[in-house]
Amino acid sequence: MSLCFERDRFRVKRQDPPWKVVRAFRQPGVGALVHLNNLSGGVLAGDRLALEVEVGAGAAAQITTTGATRLYRHRMGAGDSEQSARFSVGDGALLEYLPDAVIPYAGSRHQQRTEIRLGRGATLFWWEVLAPGRLAAGERFAYERLHIQTEVYAGTRPVLREDFLLEPKQRALAAAARMSEYSHLASLCVVQEGRPPASWRMLEDRLNEIARERTLPGQAVWGASALASDGVVVRGLTISGRLLHETLVQFWRVARKAVTGEDAVLPRKIY
Amino acid sequence: MPPERKENRNDAETHDAELVSCAVMTPIGEIALLRLLHLADSAIPIGGTPHSFGLETLADEGTLIPGNVETFLAAYLEETGALEAAFVRRSWNGNDLRELSDELNARKPARESREASLKLGRRFSELVNQLTGMPLLQTDLHYCVAFGAAGASLEIPEDAVVLAYLNQSIMGLVSACQRLMPLGQLAASRILWNLKPAIAGASLSEEALCFSPYLELASMRHGSLETRLFIS
Repeated sequence: MSLCFERDRFRVKRQDPPWKVVRAFRQPGVGALVHLNNLSGGVLAGDRLALEVEVGAGAAAQITTTGATRLYRHRMGAGDSEQSARFSVGDGALLEYLPDAVIPYAGSRHQQRTEIRLGRGATLFWWEVLAPGRLAAGERFAYERLHIQTEVYAGTRPVLREDFLLEPKQRALAAAARMSEYSHLASLCVVQEGRPPASWRMLEDRLNEIARERTLPGQAVWGASALASDGVVVRGLTISGRLLHETLVQFWRVARKAVTGEDAVLPRKIY
Repeated sequence: MPPERKENRNDAETHDAELVSCAVMTPIGEIALLRLLHLADSAIPIGGTPHSFGLETLADEGTLIPGNVETFLAAYLEETGALEAAFVRRSWNGNDLRELSDELNARKPARESREASLKLGRRFSELVNQLTGMPLLQTDLHYCVAFGAAGASLEIPEDAVVLAYLNQSIMGLVSACQRLMPLGQLAASRILWNLKPAIAGASLSEEALCFSPYLELASMRHGSLETRLFIS
């Protein structure tokens, strides 16, 4: 899948099954909103999905999914499933990448790689939610392997890099150094290339006020921190996915207003 | 292919592997050994004492208690310990120190812990430069990067440098625990003793893998504690 957002139009440069984009919606203050739809309903063992997104200089893009990313059980003889996403955000452009949760099914093996590169003055709002599995089916950390690599650059500066290798059967995720008693992990990454460090410390303070209000030890813990440069990150650990998006939306609204001076516009879906 | 993570099991098989590993470790000269012991001494004056790297939050909330300090630190070594070990190795092996430190900045999202690591790195570098009378190290590096570079400059074998770094790092955290909770000297010493295989396991890391969101959150939330003994 290859998508291109420009100031006055949106183009699907290429799309192959199982991914499909039906159309773009014009959103006030957002530019174009696009829903990524995985027609197969999930990621199958051996799948290799690649998403390339280019947001042109001065353009604004909001991308979400039509449902959770379900990672299906590994099949004998098949390779680990893979999903790579690369975003190039031009000078002064805006990218909001707000996908639904990733749900690794029992026995799944998956590698996810996300790379986001921001041009001069470009802005990013990106959240990510990782569920422990199909809790309703009694699955909790029953997947075999989940390897998540993330790289965000502001210009040539690395702003956020993560490399998680989760193998719950080898290393218990319930360890206090990892997730403790919590099951869901949420992150919101806010970056604007070149924005002064002092403004990120102020935003960190504001987001930590919300984090304190939303933290209830044993049910949910939230925190925010300014990155070394150009951004701030919010983290959350919860015991349920139920109220998680509502909290993420609250953080996003406050950060959106602080960084762009504009109100956040929700994707056309209910949280 | 996903990276193969080197396991850190405290069982007989691993113990045998450790013996082999020790047998093939590069020999260390007398002066190099003494210098390494000096630099890895917990009493070295670089201001490590007031940093808990988020442990104060966990102790304050009752998540970290004397009975689980050892298991907590064993998991810590598999994540943060392994990440920093990889950066000690990269630094020792001559990678660009500025790039390594910038990358580690991006891999440490919790500000307090990141700034603590940079502060210790600066003071450690200044101390090494003063002790040797040479400008061996730049002073804007993360602690693990500076430690690896110092080890290479002083011609101390790589494996020994990584092991010493992790050992002093864990000694600092256990010391912090002693000030945060009723953890006696004998119990603390036993924890440090029992963690040696975990330290050896983490020291083998060459990949920048780390998953410790709860500890990151503890660091992010540290500033919200009503009373604090520690800077981080």
